[in-house]
Amino acid sequence: MVLEEQIPSFAAWIGPALLRYLASAGIATLLVALVAWLVQAVGNGPLAAGDRVYRGLLAGLADVLAISPRRVWALARLAIQESLRRNVLVVLAVFALILLFAGWFLDPASVNPGRLYVGFILAATNLLVCLVTLVLAVFSLPADIKSRAIQTVTTKPVRTAEIVLGRILGFAVVGTCLLALMGISGWAFVVRSVSHGHTLEARDLFSLPDVDAGQAGSEGRTSLDRGHRHRVVLDGRGDGMAETAQGHRHRVTVTGTSESGERSFAVGEPIGLLEARRPLRGTLRFLDREGRAATKGISVGAEWGYRQFIEGGTAAAAIWTFEGITPEEFPEGLPLEMIVRVFRTYKGDIEEGIHGTIQVRNPTSSLRSESLPIVAREFTIDSLLIPRRINTVLAEGGLQEVDLFRDLVSDGRIEVWLQCLEPAQYYGVAQADFYLRAGDGSFVTNYAKSCLGIWFSMLIGTALGVMFSTFLSGPVALVAALAMLLIGQFREFIARLFTSQVTGDSSIVPGGGPIESLYRIVTQTSITLELDPTPAVQAMKVIDTVLLAPMRLAAGIFPSLSSLGTSDFLAGGFDIPGDLLAAHAAETAGYVLAFFIAGVFCLKAREIAS
Amino acid sequence: MSQSDTATTRPAEVVVETRNLSKVYRDFWGRSKKTALKPLDLDVRRGEIFGLLGPNGAGKTTTLKLLLGLIFPTSGEALVFGRPATDVSKNERIGYLPEESYLYKFLDAEETLDFYGRLFGMDPEERRRRAAALIEMVGLSRDRKRQLREYSKGMTRRIGVAQALINDPELVILDEPTSGLDPIGTREMKDLIIDLKARGKTVIMCSHLLADVEDVCDRIAVLHQGELKELGRVEELLRVTGVTQIRATGLSPAAAADVRAVLERHGAADIDIGNPRTTLEDLFLEVVRDTEARPGRRARRPDAASSRVE
Repeated sequence: MVLEEQIPSFAAWIGPALLRYLASAGIATLLVALVAWLVQAVGNGPLAAGDRVYRGLLAGLADVLAISPRRVWALARLAIQESLRRNVLVVLAVFALILLFAGWFLDPASVNPGRLYVGFILAATNLLVCLVTLVLAVFSLPADIKSRAIQTVTTKPVRTAEIVLGRILGFAVVGTCLLALMGISGWAFVVRSVSHGHTLEARDLFSLPDVDAGQAGSEGRTSLDRGHRHRVVLDGRGDGMAETAQGHRHRVTVTGTSESGERSFAVGEPIGLLEARRPLRGTLRFLDREGRAATKGISVGAEWGYRQFIEGGTAAAAIWTFEGITPEEFPEGLPLEMIVRVFRTYKGDIEEGIHGTIQVRNPTSSLRSESLPIVAREFTIDSLLIPRRINTVLAEGGLQEVDLFRDLVSDGRIEVWLQCLEPAQYYGVAQADFYLRAGDGSFVTNYAKSCLGIWFSMLIGTALGVMFSTFLSGPVALVAALAMLLIGQFREFIARLFTSQVTGDSSIVPGGGPIESLYRIVTQTSITLELDPTPAVQAMKVIDTVLLAPMRLAAGIFPSLSSLGTSDFLAGGFDIPGDLLAAHAAETAGYVLAFFIAGVFCLKAREIAS
Repeated sequence: MSQSDTATTRPAEVVVETRNLSKVYRDFWGRSKKTALKPLDLDVRRGEIFGLLGPNGAGKTTTLKLLLGLIFPTSGEALVFGRPATDVSKNERIGYLPEESYLYKFLDAEETLDFYGRLFGMDPEERRRRAAALIEMVGLSRDRKRQLREYSKGMTRRIGVAQALINDPELVILDEPTSGLDPIGTREMKDLIIDLKARGKTVIMCSHLLADVEDVCDRIAVLHQGELKELGRVEELLRVTGVTQIRATGLSPAAAADVRAVLERHGAADIDIGNPRTTLEDLFLEVVRDTEARPGRRARRPDAASSRVE
């Protein structure tokens, strides 16, 4: 899976994040207070306006602090009853329909069906749950205000904060129940969909000498099921593995022998389809073709510079340094897993992978192991166990067997070198592509963690919807919430666009801001072509910068729901890191709190009966 | 206009007080759209039934909404139980019946009362007991499990009254309490209001139905175009000075002639001796009660004289 940035530990992340949050909240509060003061000052004069704003802020805070859980729950129950009476459960029927269509149209013979099914189910669940709760949230309060039912609530001893929190809580409960039901049925669907077996019969096998056991083993192929079959290598006893195809393997066991001496085999459930690997990742550096240190590899022209390339047949190497390596954690040796992409400058034998080598080195003494051959097959995760007893290359050229942890690991650190052997072919790697498989988590737990990510999105969407519904009508609140989420979705692009605009460096985002882009569309000017710096163009760029500044500010604080998604980890077969989940939980809590407080002040400032 | 309360007894505690209370509705740009209430000074005392009277658009409902803190005053202040109207805690002691019984249509009667009971922090047992008693009181026992969307206007009004009384309030604010009710419902509502007073509650109601206000209110304020035009005790405001009314039962025509002669001898003018008229409300109620007492038979013509014995 793609991991563009390293996941920081929660302890390291929370401090700066909290500071940024408090600073943003402080600035937002000051801005809102200033605007409120200006509005009030027009009619009441500056002093009275200041007094009103001050009292308003105090009253709002008092409201938030004097919340009664009983009343909040009463209002939450009302929101739940409202949702149920509005037949929110129909969404479950829609989900069932989606599962039905998924069963028909998702191709079980695809390259990695596990990834396909998991990704699809989580995306459908995410979309349905978030959309339903958002729609419920934005339409509820405006409907109450329109029908004036809110008047019988606000004339009871109910605080504004309780109305807002009750709504958020109620719809969050509805969303949670929907998510739980969809999550469980989605999980059952995925497990059932990817589960399959093959048949293997004695006549599909042919004998071959088994060197280690000194007796004849056999090799063959399983039956074709779900669009694939596996190559099978069995030992003399008839046990073995069906090799990796479509991202999984099967264990093969002998179930019996017939009177004619013919064995019958059982091919087990797929292994490796639904996993939760716990990777130990290292840091990556490069050597160029002359063997000199380089911070980057070669760019092969891909627009997305995630992977860097090393040239085959030269001294170029990609070197990962892993830390915290102990024999206790890896008693069998180092289980290295890797994804190596290939860039071919000539086609060669397209059926064959590109050959290369792996070495492990001591980062202090530079003692290195012999080269272990690999063949890069794209789009699959290759694994290689670096054994505890391994040959090292002596200075005079001979080999000497050493202990991996005693001789090649220094202070818990070890280097893994990757080199491509074939001239004029390239290996492409990213830092996250090589890792040591430190163990496996449970897939079910990982699936639940991924659902937790959806839950975070749902909470933010609900709080956002309720916040907008305190001062906008239902449809307008829905559009506003979606616009906010959309800006949040593109926050990184907007940030880069603004940087590009301010610095004048068009290579960051070519094409300019909204006005310049419009001009280029109308005049059919390519985005890579620099415009002549005429006064009109200069003015256009200034207007663009002015337009982009508030968007940049908004993009910095608006939530990005996609960044809370962890389905990539689940679908890619990686355990979702606890640090990431904790950061997402904190981020969610921050947004929900901010939207809640904003909603309280908006509703409090409003005459709901006018 | 100065207050003209001339009650001879010691003034009771002031429950509601407004000082220069006014409301101007403005548009988005802050431009004045409508002056709903011109500066208003009012005191409502504990235990009285106070009526706000006026034609549509007079500012009655605006006044009630200002007292409830549903809208904010443009100037002046409204105090309820000595607290600003925007103070939520005052609502602990208030029951409010809005003009149209704005309730949640997807709830049934029991769920409605349970919900409002929860908002007062009542414990489950108390909620159940109060809800059952109130449903019984407003006559919705048979319909307590039906969603309010299926209710008639009168039934909705009744459940609205029940929710207003769920917390056994000290101050009951009723906006057009008899609107949408049939004559029987109207009479029951008026009886209820009088009963509330008997139980020591303070009632503020607004209505444009003059007979309703006259029947139940101790004091009234007449509003017109957002301005207070009249304020005082009902019997004083309605007393026609210079005219004397004598009522009696069992008076023979001869005796009536004697009375007329005596009055004439004392210089009385515009003498009118005859049978008084009943009200249409009384007639209707009499017919309904008689029909219920003797089903299947034509209602007896009620004896106007006997029904007006005093």
